[in-house]
Amino acid sequence: MPEYNLYAGCSVPANYPNYEASMLRVADSFDMELKYMEGVACCGSPNLRAIDYEGWLKVNARTLAIADKNGNDIVTPCNGCFGSLKDVYYHLRHNEDYVEMVNAELASEGLEFTGDAKPRHFVEALYTDIGIDRIKENITNPLDGVGIAIHYGCHLLRPKDVTEFRPEILKDLVAVTGAEVIEYPLWKQCCGATVLPVDEPLAIRLARDKLKSMKDAGAQFATVVCPACGNQLDLQQLDLKNTYGEEYNIPILHYPQILGLAMGLSEDEIGLYLNRVPAEPILEHVSK
Amino acid sequence: MAKTEEKTVPPVTLVDPIELSELDRDFREEIHSMPNGEELGACFACSTCTAACPIANSWDYKPHQLVRMILLGMRKEVLASDEIWLCLTCFECQERCPQNVRVTDILFDCKNLAAEEGRIPPNVAELGKELVEQGQLYVITADWEREDLGLEPSLPGLQTEEVRNMLKKSRTGRMLGEDD
Repeated sequence: MPEYNLYAGCSVPANYPNYEASMLRVADSFDMELKYMEGVACCGSPNLRAIDYEGWLKVNARTLAIADKNGNDIVTPCNGCFGSLKDVYYHLRHNEDYVEMVNAELASEGLEFTGDAKPRHFVEALYTDIGIDRIKENITNPLDGVGIAIHYGCHLLRPKDVTEFRPEILKDLVAVTGAEVIEYPLWKQCCGATVLPVDEPLAIRLARDKLKSMKDAGAQFATVVCPACGNQLDLQQLDLKNTYGEEYNIPILHYPQILGLAMGLSEDEIGLYLNRVPAEPILEHVSK
Repeated sequence: MAKTEEKTVPPVTLVDPIELSELDRDFREEIHSMPNGEELGACFACSTCTAACPIANSWDYKPHQLVRMILLGMRKEVLASDEIWLCLTCFECQERCPQNVRVTDILFDCKNLAAEEGRIPPNVAELGKELVEQGQLYVITADWEREDLGLEPSLPGLQTEEVRNMLKKSRTGRMLGEDD
């Protein structure tokens, strides 16, 4: 029974409890023990890195050091947290001076960054530690080949030397549910979430580019593994109606929601009713 | 003849001329010595970063131009530009750079320098304020939604005090006048 430090971040618990609940239920089916980390707060998101590199380094080093106490890897459902933790981990591993600086700060709490516990995205841990074969054995209600587009999210994929995430991971994880992965031209492009506080019209345009590219390629649904990307692609569909007069009607599902359905979880258990663009149409594609 | 007279019109320039005396030669070294700046000097302005950027078409200064401006010492222009804040931090430019210049990381460094000078877009400063005041960006308000899904109403293990203290002592706190 693999044990992990669960770093939920702030956006998932506050805005997407359906993501959190479906992740916990799926993990439970595979005996992945996700234990909420004690004494942690926010990663600060790229916004903190932008204004305060040192502060960002310290708060994330602190989270890493808390996990170092038991040495279990950190698992997070959020690309923002994943990006911050991975990036800080990378910077600390490449710069002794920073390790000294953060450890001097953390000593008062009896903490030390050692680098034993690695930060990982939930989907990567699922893929690597559980594996496609075992997941396949648990698929009781496969999807009927319905077209699902994957939005990976920038901070899951890049910088490649920092995140070490291979796109095939998520592709395989979606395909194992029985769905068809829809390839679309803008699959690598940003959803625009980070620029939302600075330039809203630009952020909306980027969400539109993304959704249009998915729709044109024939996607009926899309899946995300990040609350910020989810927010952009799900909620912005309402703004797109107002600003562009366009309706996309692409339900955006968090990956564990899709896997959960294929594993026989009910729509209530995965909190489908909380998705903004009504996601119930996915139920028609789940074999009983 | 009319044609020769036209030659007195100043030649069309693609960019405004740079006033050499206003360049800050240390800027290049400043960025170069930051944790991500090592490869800065390897840029030969091939524009691959700009081709990779999903929003470069709406920028006055394109990514490769910003790198060039850093190399030239145009500190004032770079740090005052909207572009550094518009950067999506999507890392497309950095990923594709054939010279391993960490373009996105360098733009993060520029934002830090601008922040040190007090130049932060109001909404981004607001996010910093929230971090110092509540230790997190999003606070749970709909606890009934969590309970309906079988989750704890509040986030297990959440402790914001230490993060708030760390940030208070750091630039975030100083900028916002929240330091002790």
